[in-house]
Amino acid sequence: MSGYRLSSGGLIDRSKTLSFTFDGSPLRGFAGDTLASALLANDQLLVGRSFKYHRPRGIVSTGPSEPNALVTIGSGARTDANTKATVAELYGGLTARSQNRWPSLAFDIGAVNGVLSPFLGAGFYYKTFMWPKQFWERIYEPFIRRAAGLGRAVLERDPEAYEKSWAFCDLLVVGAGPSGLMAALTAGRAGLRVIVADEDFRLGGSLLSTSETIDGAPASVFADRTVAELQSLPNVTLLSRTTVFGWYDDNVFGAVERVQKHVAEPSSKLVSERVWRIVAKRALLATGAEERPLVFGGNDRPGVMMAGAMTTFAERYGVAAGKTVALFTSGSAGYRTARTLSAKGVAIAAIVDARAESGDQAPDGVRVIRSASIVDTKGRQRLKGIVVERSGFEELIACDALGMSGGWSPVVHLACQRGAKPVWSEALKAFAAPDVGGGLRPVGAANGIYTLAGCLSDGAEKAATIAADLGFNAVSAAVPVVDAEEASSFTALWYVPGAKSKAFVDFQNDVHAKDLGLALREGFGHVEHAKRYTTNGMATDQGKLSNINAVGILAGMRGVSPAEVGTTTFRPFYTPVSLGALAGTARDEHAAPARKSPLHGWAMKNGATFVEAGLWHRSAWFPRAGEKTWRESVDREVLNVRANVGLCDVSTLGKIEVFGPDAAEFLNRLYCNPVLKLPVGKARYGLMLREDGFVFDDGTVSRFDEAHFFVTTTTAMAGPVMAHMEYCAQALWPELEVRFTSSTDQWAQMAIAGPKARAVLQQIVDGDISDGAFPFLSARKIVLKSGVAARLFRISFSGELAFELAVPAGNGEAVADQIMEAGRPHDICAYGVEALNVLRLEKGLLTHAEFDGRVTPDDAGLGRMLSMQKVDFIGKRLSTRYGLTAADRMQLVGLKAVDADKDMRAGAHLLKEGTKPSTLNDQGWVSSAGFSPVLGHAIALAFLKSGRERYGEKVIVFDKLRDQEIVAEVCDPVFVDPQNAKLKA
Amino acid sequence: MVRDYNNRHALEQKLRSAPRPAAADHLMVGHWRAMATVLARAGQAEAVRQSIASVPELSLRFSGPGEWLVVSEVEAPSGLVRRLEELCDGGAYVVDQSDGRVVFRLTGPNVRSILAKGIGLDVHPATFSLGGSANVLCGHIPVNLARTDEDTFELIVPRSYAESLFDDLMRMGRAFDLTAAFSD
Amino acid sequence: MASLITCPHCGVRPKEEFAVRGDASRGRPEPMDSDETWHDYVYVRVNPRGRTFEHWHHVAGCRRFLVVERDTATHEVYSVVDAAEFARRVER
Repeated sequence: MSGYRLSSGGLIDRSKTLSFTFDGSPLRGFAGDTLASALLANDQLLVGRSFKYHRPRGIVSTGPSEPNALVTIGSGARTDANTKATVAELYGGLTARSQNRWPSLAFDIGAVNGVLSPFLGAGFYYKTFMWPKQFWERIYEPFIRRAAGLGRAVLERDPEAYEKSWAFCDLLVVGAGPSGLMAALTAGRAGLRVIVADEDFRLGGSLLSTSETIDGAPASVFADRTVAELQSLPNVTLLSRTTVFGWYDDNVFGAVERVQKHVAEPSSKLVSERVWRIVAKRALLATGAEERPLVFGGNDRPGVMMAGAMTTFAERYGVAAGKTVALFTSGSAGYRTARTLSAKGVAIAAIVDARAESGDQAPDGVRVIRSASIVDTKGRQRLKGIVVERSGFEELIACDALGMSGGWSPVVHLACQRGAKPVWSEALKAFAAPDVGGGLRPVGAANGIYTLAGCLSDGAEKAATIAADLGFNAVSAAVPVVDAEEASSFTALWYVPGAKSKAFVDFQNDVHAKDLGLALREGFGHVEHAKRYTTNGMATDQGKLSNINAVGILAGMRGVSPAEVGTTTFRPFYTPVSLGALAGTARDEHAAPARKSPLHGWAMKNGATFVEAGLWHRSAWFPRAGEKTWRESVDREVLNVRANVGLCDVSTLGKIEVFGPDAAEFLNRLYCNPVLKLPVGKARYGLMLREDGFVFDDGTVSRFDEAHFFVTTTTAMAGPVMAHMEYCAQALWPELEVRFTSSTDQWAQMAIAGPKARAVLQQIVDGDISDGAFPFLSARKIVLKSGVAARLFRISFSGELAFELAVPAGNGEAVADQIMEAGRPHDICAYGVEALNVLRLEKGLLTHAEFDGRVTPDDAGLGRMLSMQKVDFIGKRLSTRYGLTAADRMQLVGLKAVDADKDMRAGAHLLKEGTKPSTLNDQGWVSSAGFSPVLGHAIALAFLKSGRERYGEKVIVFDKLRDQEIVAEVCDPVFVDPQNAKLKA
Repeated sequence: MVRDYNNRHALEQKLRSAPRPAAADHLMVGHWRAMATVLARAGQAEAVRQSIASVPELSLRFSGPGEWLVVSEVEAPSGLVRRLEELCDGGAYVVDQSDGRVVFRLTGPNVRSILAKGIGLDVHPATFSLGGSANVLCGHIPVNLARTDEDTFELIVPRSYAESLFDDLMRMGRAFDLTAAFSD
Repeated sequence: MASLITCPHCGVRPKEEFAVRGDASRGRPEPMDSDETWHDYVYVRVNPRGRTFEHWHHVAGCRRFLVVERDTATHEVYSVVDAAEFARRVER
């Protein structure tokens, strides 16, 4: 046995036993344990296999820097791979599995890589699997992918719920250790809105794992008391289990809260994880410091861990890392761990101190070997002993656990995420936080202060300064007294010479010291190159333990200061964040809102099938009993509109009310056709261009009175047209007095089309709508017989006699019902956007299938609409340039399938008969196509080179996607009623 | 006000289930509410705002410079438009939006926590004072948010988005057992 | 990109409420200006490193176009004014 539970002590609840399993074996821990502490208490030393060599690995740390103890927690769809055992809170029923081993953790075939390791140095894959090229995708990559990788993602749908939340505060404190809590207390008492976020499930940080006392009581008591006071303050929010992962522009922080990752049976009312966006006027980085591993031969043997981790296991979790513990240190921390363990009855084999001398105090009777180093370790899957070298002599010392400490590095990641690089401090022998201004300041150990008293007072002072800055009357919180302060000093030691076996720098990616040497020799000595060449720091732990040593080793080999080597680039996220949490609620049908027309209920009653058009759900067609395909329904709807009458929901069109003395002038500049003299009570088709001369959108513009216009847009461009109008009114022509607002949602609008449209509508409209009284392109405010105030337009998108009736949205369904009732004797039918599309296709009317951003008015056959007499309109100047007026541009034409049973599809290309399909031979493309039930064959609208001169010519419609070529005849794009006799009936 | 029983509310399909007793956090959906957009003419913004603000039963919701949504629980839609046109006396253009907008009234002790899940605006009582209003995004949906009482907020949303916003709000309030019903 | 924009009409708002339209430093040419001037206005952008003036549309707020003066390298925002106000200022 080596790891075991001490008989007393620790901040665990020994009355609450929790059962869990690891690789199927039932084990027990206590409430307050992490999975790591519980595994160690059960002497489960071996927890994983390394990435490349599949070496046996044990727990190294007690926090998010853990490189080895990655496990898969949970089962089925609720499986989380690559979870660090050191931060996973233990709960009853937790199931954990080790990763990257086969067939078992103790016997792993992949460990053969370790034997082959002389051939698997850094860059091995790059060099070996480069050629032959075709082997890469089929052989090398699948092989490497199978051999590598850690946990496996499950393919089942994630059943968890996630959400996001905003938060605003005067002060965000990142980290709830001594300096963080002290700062929060000071600021909280002063009345600031404070948010404290800490990744741990228990707030207190190092206060929970030190043997020091504050005001005569254990430090953890001070932590609990402070947390209790903070909880009582209404202006303070405490977020435990919350990792601040990113610092963004304008002092916005991203954080992820693990709301119920720590429960066996999550509540359906709560989310699994919540992402916070925290807007902070000021923030303090109270993230503490990270202890550095030592790079010596055999330093990855299970049983070798950070000295500070040993202290935490003992103090916080009541777990001893071994029966006989040795320490290897270049500073005070090793001694501190020895004293802690010794006081708890753990035998200390020796303290191996790399330094020649120090004032640090070893426990009574413990052997200290100075100026010494460890060059190898013994044991296979667990540590049995260490080989200590001093003055050329080697000695084997038996032990079952080894604590190592190479000094400390402030945790400054967040401060470096916006471009500033950490700054090397010769005094601290570490990279310190850069000065990034007042928004974010490091405090306590993150600020390079390593004494408890120093951290407490730094927290209090920094918070008081911030309170004063923000105009609060700072209540000076008395800084508590630390009894018998522990010393803290170290000498930087990047690499321990004389290694007799591999000395690992990055445990997770199996990068050892020699790999860095190879990188340098091969010309990859720059820190960013060395990182990528060796993969040091590229694992899921992002090099939290390894990067600093890699920089130190590179500096040593290059004979320069670590300042000159610098660090790699820090970016969010500080620790991995699940994609589910980042997506929040925006998934599945909630990925985007659904917009529903006021006639949605009417369409449902009439049996509509809906189609998504942008955010809108539009009625596509209305199948009737016996109709087996959508085409049957659509053909019936089209024929019925041509023969009788139909009702179509067009509420989704964009609608804009435009007012003001300059409204006419404004619209005249927006549309390429004239609007200025549009009479009151009239509607007009309008075409808007982009400034580059291409068509932007089409729609109608109606005039209700001198200074009130009503503009409609296409459904798709409603938003962009509104934005364009706002741009023109505000940024281009602020001198025009015009105001406008969207009324899209106010109106239910329906098209009533067909020869019997008037007969139907006349029954519900109060007033004469005969052709004489209400001719084509009339637009008026009217009143229905039911008393409803409405708007009526005589416009048509089908070529039939047609009206568009707009009524207040809430009345839409009732009015549509009334029209259907009034139309029953006239065989009225509901028709959807599919029939609408066929109707307009038969008439050669255009949509954004034609206006695809490459089409000029002339291309579309609308060249005569351009009013060049106007001084100016958007797009006028560039519409006359050479390329847009060339004679061989693609022009709108109609296509008729020569064989009546052949169909065409949009996207097909046009070729001259007898030519091969090639870009050079391309003559144009089909923009819209469909079956015309009126004509009984397929028709299409297409853009064809000089198309208007080519009516009657036969072209090949080449559809590579369906491998189909058919012959079609080029014709006028108006297939039905070219004289518009029906329209004006 | 005169009620038009042929006028269907956007949430009639969604909110059909029998109302449960209201929880501490409750969502009321305004059924009969008249609303209009008021667009002040150049130089008239302050005068228009003052004349409307002088009428207690009219509530001004800021939409942009010289632009408001005006809400009335008393007037019928056509009456509100007439009333506003009289009040503004040619200084503004008035557009009826009574059918184009839906009002949600969210009230309760956790209302700010619920709103924070969708709205990136600081609604702390000291920052977003009583009577304050703003156009904001709630998730992906544009809304006008107003604080109408100590712990009461109104969200006004374009009608076509009403079902989606309703679903979103109910989910945002799930942890607090949020209930919902029509206001009358 | 900034995370927050201080709209002169609405106060501090998240960037999600805005749509960026691009360079605001040049005005629209006169109808009779040269082909080159119009070509440059429509097609040519400078993409500077450093200070730049851009049109940001407060789509989900007041629906005003704003001119945001910001640094493309540091993302610092120096000023935000209404586009109409900006246009009038340029005119003077």
